[in-house]
Amino acid sequence: MSKNIFKYSFIFFIPIFLLPQQAFAYLDPGTGSMIIQTLIAVFGSIGYAGILFRKKIKSFFERFRKTK
Amino acid sequence: MTTFHTASFKDRDAQVVIKNNEVYRLIYDSYKEPYEKLMQSGLYEMLISKKMLIPHIETENFEPVYKTLKPQKVFVSYPYEWCFSELKDAALLTLEIQKLALEYGMSLKDANAYNVQFFEGKPIFIDTSSFEIYEETKPWCAYRQFCMQFLAPLAVMAYKDERLVSLLETNLDGLPLDIASKLLPKSSWLNLKLLSHVHLHALAQKNYSGCHKKIEVKFSKFQMEALLNDLTECIKNIKLPKSKTEWGNYYNETNYSDESFEQKRKIVNVFGEKINPETVVDFGANNGAFSRLFKEKSKLIVSADIDFSAVEQNYAITKKEKETNILPLVLDLCNPSASVGWANEERSSFFERIKDSELVLALALVHHLAIGRNVPFSKIAKLFSSAGKNLIVEYVDKKDSQVEKLLSNRKDIFDDYSIENFEKSFGGFFDIVEKRHIDNTFRTIYLMRRKEK
Repeated sequence: MSKNIFKYSFIFFIPIFLLPQQAFAYLDPGTGSMIIQTLIAVFGSIGYAGILFRKKIKSFFERFRKTK
Repeated sequence: MTTFHTASFKDRDAQVVIKNNEVYRLIYDSYKEPYEKLMQSGLYEMLISKKMLIPHIETENFEPVYKTLKPQKVFVSYPYEWCFSELKDAALLTLEIQKLALEYGMSLKDANAYNVQFFEGKPIFIDTSSFEIYEETKPWCAYRQFCMQFLAPLAVMAYKDERLVSLLETNLDGLPLDIASKLLPKSSWLNLKLLSHVHLHALAQKNYSGCHKKIEVKFSKFQMEALLNDLTECIKNIKLPKSKTEWGNYYNETNYSDESFEQKRKIVNVFGEKINPETVVDFGANNGAFSRLFKEKSKLIVSADIDFSAVEQNYAITKKEKETNILPLVLDLCNPSASVGWANEERSSFFERIKDSELVLALALVHHLAIGRNVPFSKIAKLFSSAGKNLIVEYVDKKDSQVEKLLSNRKDIFDDYSIENFEKSFGGFFDIVEKRHIDNTFRTIYLMRRKEK
């Protein structure tokens, strides 16, 4: 099962090659960790942006309610 | 005489030394810039005010170094001695510190579980030299370590068995992710966070293990925050299933009356007042009911038990009651934490750390060791005498139903299990100061003082 998942997980790995800005980093045997961390951060950023947006909307309405 | 702490040899920026029984942290010139940033940016003060980082004072240099720090002393315990919630709280503290450090332009250069200790009832970060200046574009170098030291063990404990935390004793760098991935059930692949942080992480490690190429990676601060948010959510969502064990409800399932239980509390209290101990180690503490008799008298009470549910319950009580001096730990007296790591001295044994406590408490325990685990009285007495100067111990007679239960399915080979032999064996290591029988039971409580050589 795990082999199959990894086989098709290349889709998950594609964004690593699409990262807009780049910086050099020497990769040691922890290369896999670096890559997976970057991917999680890329995908996680979308959800995290949503969380922050929701918080802002909430605080806006709360402020609006208070001024009322 | 100054000696280097046996666990302090990996960092080139700072080292912990022991001088005259006091702990110091030497800061080398290479760490000058990050240390100044930590102290001057406001991060140190903020972490101290939130009781997240151990406070220190700067003292005179006794070695040719940039600074010498004297941190607040703490009792050292290890992740493989913690219950699930203790490890989880330590993980959340590490993530919270990393989030706060980012706000001040700093980052944790490692996420070692051994950098967290329990102090005044809460986890606290003890490695002042773990902070480095944050460079945006760099991924979190401690990410893999965090997954191995915290995330993977917590997942394995929650999905499989809490006792698997003992794997950390044989894997001091943390639980290897490939092992965690194999141990976790197939259903964990459906959990997106565990899928990415453990399973795919393990596969990626394996896939890139031979790769030593330079690749170009950009990691923004926002992405770092997103990663930390994802890890926090992941840790928060790992929960232990509610399960009961034989001993978890021990104090609700005693074989004697409330009056006898109350009398036992009074006897222990009276004996305790005669010692007024600063340090107590409670073996077989269960949920800490008797440890708590000392919380007004003592500075530190190490409340240890073999049962994870009992320790979990004990820790929950310390949190709820905001108790600052009780430290619940998991301990199998028949196989206590050993000296492990580099040269067998990186992490010291449990008995090395608690030796010469002022009081050892061993209530309703000796019969489990003597009959349940076949340990002779003399060996039990010797072990207790290495742990503390005074002992409050309970002898439970063979007529007691708890002992009868222990013997119900086995041949009684314990002809030497008698109160006379108990007193004789313990008398080899202790002077019996006082003994009191608990009315309407087959139990006797002793106060003993260690024979000093």
